[in-house]
Amino acid sequence: MLERFHIPEEDEIRVNPEKLREVSEQIFMKCGMNFANSKIATDVLLQADIRGVDTHGVSNMLRNYVMYLTEGSAKPNPLWKITRETESTATVDCDEGLGLVVAPLCMDIAIEKAKKTGVGLVSMGNGRHLGMAGYHAMKALKHDMIGTCMTSSTTNVVPTYASKAGLGTNPIAVAAPALNKAPFVFDAATSAIATNKVRVAQRLGVPLAAGWITDENGNPIMEETSLNIKDDPDEVSNLLQTPVGATREIGSHKGYSLGMVVDILGSILNGSLAGPLRTIKQHQNHFVAAYSIEAFIDTQTFKKMMDEYLQALEDLPPVEGQERVLYAGLIEEETAIERNKKGIPLHPEVINWFESICSELELPFSLVEDKRDN
Amino acid sequence: MLERFHVPGEEIVLVEENRLRHVTEQFFVTQGMSIEDSKIATDVLISSDLRGVETHGVSNMLRAYLGAFRSKNLNPKPNWKIVRETPSCATIDSDAGLGIVVAPKAMEIAIEKAKKTGVGLVSLGNGRHIGMLAYHAMMALEHDMIGTCMASCGPRMVPTFSSEAAIGTNPISYAAPADKLPPFVFDAAMTSVAGNKIVLASRLGVPLEPGWIADKRGNPIMEEVYLNDFPEFENESKNLEQRYSSGNISSAVSLLPFGATREMGSHKGYSMAMVVDILSGILNGNKTAPTGEFTGQGHFLAAYSVEAFIDTKEFKTLMDQYLQSFLDLPSNSEGKEVVYAGFLEAKEQEKRMKQGIPLHPEVIDWFTSMSKELNIDSLV
Repeated sequence: MLERFHIPEEDEIRVNPEKLREVSEQIFMKCGMNFANSKIATDVLLQADIRGVDTHGVSNMLRNYVMYLTEGSAKPNPLWKITRETESTATVDCDEGLGLVVAPLCMDIAIEKAKKTGVGLVSMGNGRHLGMAGYHAMKALKHDMIGTCMTSSTTNVVPTYASKAGLGTNPIAVAAPALNKAPFVFDAATSAIATNKVRVAQRLGVPLAAGWITDENGNPIMEETSLNIKDDPDEVSNLLQTPVGATREIGSHKGYSLGMVVDILGSILNGSLAGPLRTIKQHQNHFVAAYSIEAFIDTQTFKKMMDEYLQALEDLPPVEGQERVLYAGLIEEETAIERNKKGIPLHPEVINWFESICSELELPFSLVEDKRDN
Repeated sequence: MLERFHVPGEEIVLVEENRLRHVTEQFFVTQGMSIEDSKIATDVLISSDLRGVETHGVSNMLRAYLGAFRSKNLNPKPNWKIVRETPSCATIDSDAGLGIVVAPKAMEIAIEKAKKTGVGLVSLGNGRHIGMLAYHAMMALEHDMIGTCMASCGPRMVPTFSSEAAIGTNPISYAAPADKLPPFVFDAAMTSVAGNKIVLASRLGVPLEPGWIADKRGNPIMEEVYLNDFPEFENESKNLEQRYSSGNISSAVSLLPFGATREMGSHKGYSMAMVVDILSGILNGNKTAPTGEFTGQGHFLAAYSVEAFIDTKEFKTLMDQYLQSFLDLPSNSEGKEVVYAGFLEAKEQEKRMKQGIPLHPEVIDWFTSMSKELNIDSLV
């Protein structure tokens, strides 16, 4: 993440990951989830916080999930089912369950198929928000597989040359294992930035960079701009965003088209409406895949080559003003090591939310102890 | 393509498709290809010219291939083979054969697998130039499948925060069928522009946009520039034969990942290029550009059977509705029509099949001297 999105150090409150896990599981159960589902859902959220993907962790997302589950727009214990299946593919109806719960189970199906035929693909319709896409892709890693996850999401990105939103931020995640180095884990919206980043920017009061959003007529704003919106996440999600590439000349048609690929694989392939046709705001559809490495090459050879490849990129001389050249997944791995040791930094506003939601749900608030210790 | 890359109207020479096909096939045969392979290779090249993707058509590519044949970097009669296989996957050694010959055959393997298991993936190592990726992805369309093609290329892209080029332009293509509307066909480099666009810009003398190339130290150039303002860059359209002898077109011009700067998302273009290296290169054991041991392209092809997931008819109807809904979007203040990938190319193909393929006079001149030299039929 860009520096601007980090919580200023003097504001942060470090929380023990296991305590955060416990509270989050309890909150999910209070919202109607069974024990098993609450554990799966919490693990997805917590991985985001541990890996430094604060946009998709408890601070941004838990309150949304509580809202979806209490208003009934997502089912806590969906009866998801496979509606069509071949040796290497499956189509799943998520029964309005959070992708947070259903996607890890579908990724298991993809992995099982990949063990047999070399590859497993699952297209999931009628779903809800799935958290950090990278989590699901990463499930393939311990099976020595390459994992992919895509989400066809709510419409707020303006296609190249259009004046209205027609596309979701439609993230793509790909994870591939290495031998000794941190695995390659790419996870990014096909828009210039994730909508959740706009929420974080709002909370931290930092400006948006050139090329992130458009004006009300769909024209990309190519200078730094500040949000004039106070404390209304709904208004933030109504902002019009640019595809990655920002303008046609810098390649917005590439972000736009990759977003369409996600719609086609994640939605249309399972019979869901997508893009400008989308009707239900909370409706999100997904595509997960697992590719067995051993099906193509000796796993050991692949992993060694991955180490060499990743090291070669890391060893590139950096441009003036930068300390080093990175690859996707490297910083996240380093952050995970640090946060597992020192705790997860939360913004005071998030701690306050935990306090109030816990009192509302009549849960003993165990994060408070950390606050007193500090 | 952006308007600036089209051959200017007053200079255009229109050549009929079949004439261009005939001469191109003869050209490949003179280089040692079988008649069958020369037909496949020609079809890939002419398809890009017909679709208006002249960066990857005869004008840029033939002379580059000629250079590579002469330096023995291309094997005109590759003995390509499957080196590993599962019900849904195959790994292929391309034996230094042109991707424009081997990839169409490998795509057929992917399609056959997808008929049986729902999906077919093929990763190809030791390959050479694959032409317009979309050709291979589009092979899936007539089988009611979604097709994918990726190519791991030589060093050209400057990774985010790096001071030098290290990774390929690594294009990705996806094709998905529709019912009555032209199919969705995406095909793009993970750099802001394809390497071949720099060649076109050189030939046409048009400016480069902010965010396309990096300066000598790897910094994104965020203003409009002309290539000939930089003494260190040669005219890219000259000496193509010499510059394509090591399996990729060498160039002093370093390209930025699409997104251009970290703030605008260059790390996304950079990371997608890595995905391409992993699937098209490392997965078949092919050496990738960043390691410094790259000798030839790696490729990745996939076919997904639509029927494996959903009734094909329903999918295609939904695709029509989906694609139409983009065409129906109102334009922003630039006033340009909203289109989707593949829409303009399908229109252009219809037009060019009727009117002929527009070539730059410089390209016609090259054809004239080449046919004399190789003793084949002349183009005009």
